[in-house]
Amino acid sequence: MSAVPAHAGEHAMLERVYIWELPVRLAHWLLFFSIVTLAVTGFYIGHPFISAPGPASAHFIMGRMRSVHLYASIVFTLAALVRVYWAFAGNRYARWSQLLPVSLERWRSFRQAFLFYTFLSRQSVDYLGHNALAGLTYAGIFAVYFVMMATGFALYTVYAPPGSPMQWFGWLIPLFHGLPIARLIHHIGMWVILVFAVAHVYFPVLYALVERNGVFDSIFSGYKFKEPGSRE
Amino acid sequence: MAHTRLMRELQRQGVSRREFLTFCASMATVLGLPEGSAAAIAKAVENEKRPILVWLEFQDCAGNTESFLRASHPTVADLVLDTISLNYHETLMAAAGAQAEGVLDETVKQNKGNYIALVEGSIPGDADSGYCCIGGRSALDIAREVCGNAAATIAVGTCATFGGIPAARPNPTRALSVADAVPGVRNLINMSACPANAENITALIVYYLTLKQWPPLDRYRRPLFAYGKSIHDGCERRAHFDAGQYVESWGDEAHRHGHCLYKMGCKGPATSQNCPNVGWNEHTNWPIGCGHPCIGCAEPNFWDVMTPFYQKLPDVAGVNTDRWLDTVGVGLTGAVAAGVVVHGIGEVMRRGRGRLVVEEKPAAGKGTGEQAGAKK
Ligand code: HEM
Ligand code: SF4
Ligand code: SF4
Repeated sequence: MSAVPAHAGEHAMLERVYIWELPVRLAHWLLFFSIVTLAVTGFYIGHPFISAPGPASAHFIMGRMRSVHLYASIVFTLAALVRVYWAFAGNRYARWSQLLPVSLERWRSFRQAFLFYTFLSRQSVDYLGHNALAGLTYAGIFAVYFVMMATGFALYTVYAPPGSPMQWFGWLIPLFHGLPIARLIHHIGMWVILVFAVAHVYFPVLYALVERNGVFDSIFSGYKFKEPGSRE
Repeated sequence: MAHTRLMRELQRQGVSRREFLTFCASMATVLGLPEGSAAAIAKAVENEKRPILVWLEFQDCAGNTESFLRASHPTVADLVLDTISLNYHETLMAAAGAQAEGVLDETVKQNKGNYIALVEGSIPGDADSGYCCIGGRSALDIAREVCGNAAATIAVGTCATFGGIPAARPNPTRALSVADAVPGVRNLINMSACPANAENITALIVYYLTLKQWPPLDRYRRPLFAYGKSIHDGCERRAHFDAGQYVESWGDEAHRHGHCLYKMGCKGPATSQNCPNVGWNEHTNWPIGCGHPCIGCAEPNFWDVMTPFYQKLPDVAGVNTDRWLDTVGVGLTGAVAAGVVVHGIGEVMRRGRGRLVVEEKPAAGKGTGEQAGAKK
């Protein structure tokens, strides 16, 4: 919506468009840093690979990993909630309808995006926001984030003293049948997120090159370049 | 007060008043009551008027009865519990058959709403299944009548509390906990663990005798004094956990030094009970104290979710996730990274064959709401 005309001297055909508002970019980078932290510390919690020598009092390796994990989980949770809130309060590119193939038109472009990514078609789908396939992938990864929060906070209830507000999350435990299963799901979730992350770094870089639309820079600056034919 | 029935009995057993008061003080400690409550406890316990108890056994191993009685010499706790009017307990009472069932029937009828029912074992969910019948009546019938008319019901042990081992997959008898078998049961207190700790059952009864009310409960209706803290948070090996010192195999250097059993499958981080503080067998020791991981016996679905006992994570379709999950995760991430590189090479080649087509925007008007309003 908030299209800003390109400055004089820039490529005449491109319009500079403000796509990612500050909360979206902020949430994105907070999620990035918290997930890196959570994955490193979580991996250690799941698989303590360093063994401390000497007396116990001389070390606090797991203790530190756990506290960092728990602080990072607060950042992670708040960032994810901000992003979800912005899916309802933000501009059109941040909206939830960008994430789900809710219209027939988006369903069609879903197919097109799939064919393009798999080299079956040379026709790319140029969207200013997310294309339909990417949108659905982001919806999926957010579902995984919420599974991480549900299992993480369920695990945390064991450490919360009686009367603590954190005990509220105890209602989640029966959903997983028990804490060891919540732990397992939490652990599997980490790998799902890491696999996603690899692909997620690759595709924007790729399309920044292919479409020269600034998608890779956009998550820093908020702006993308709009070609005459591209969709909102 | 040495003339009370309890004190006479204690004297006969050679238990001094001093030992009795020590017991009352220890109960105050288990219950987390303030200093000075020992006197109130002593007074309440000495009181001649005692609640009537009936003890029902269904699909159980009598392990809770065993724990309750303890094999060792009689202690003050045993005597306190003995002097309670335990009207019915199949394993303990001298009467048998119709005579025994008659006692139960009479107690329920004459003390309707005034007695306490203790239940040990799980209850088959189907009254006509033929599993677990006593005197021709199904366990479900008996439980509904006896617990339904009690002032309070105490589910003793994990089977009565959560279904326990009889309810483990595939649960052939459709075993239920007391809460599920007797919906809406009044004042249900759950004392999970396999078996429930005699110390905690005694403390629960002493609490009731002293304060004439039931203690605060957790989300599974278990008293907070016994289940308010995780094994992990009370564990004497916790310093080794936090330091990062773990037993890697039975009998290794770390095991001999009493390091943390986390990697050996300890379920302390998923289990709440006061074992580290109260111990077992009259404070002799407790599982982790003698080098064995906690198996999570006090938690719901314990047999299904806490097994395999010596692995940190449960198996999935027979696959040891402790061993394989991270390997599979690293492999998948690597495979996707490799796929991305291949895709990138493909992309470079495709670009080499000319500019890509950027799909044209469909004509205005045909577009859906999403496109309407697009600024040209
Ligand atoms: C991207 C997000 C996250 C990742 C990748 C992650 C990763 C992990 C991993 C791998 C473990 C070890 C599991 C095991 O024992 O096998 C773990 C444990 C845990 N995580 Fe997370 N986690 C994330 C988010 C969260 C959140 C949002 C919370 C919320 C409180 C949380 C709380 C916990 C807790 C309490 C534990 C158990 C710690 C313990 O028992 O000492 N995690 N995490
Ligand atoms: S032995 Fe078990 S309960 Fe104790 S600190 Fe280690 S993991 Fe926790
Ligand atoms: S240490 Fe764990 S398994 Fe052992 S009795 Fe206590 S709760 Fe049950």
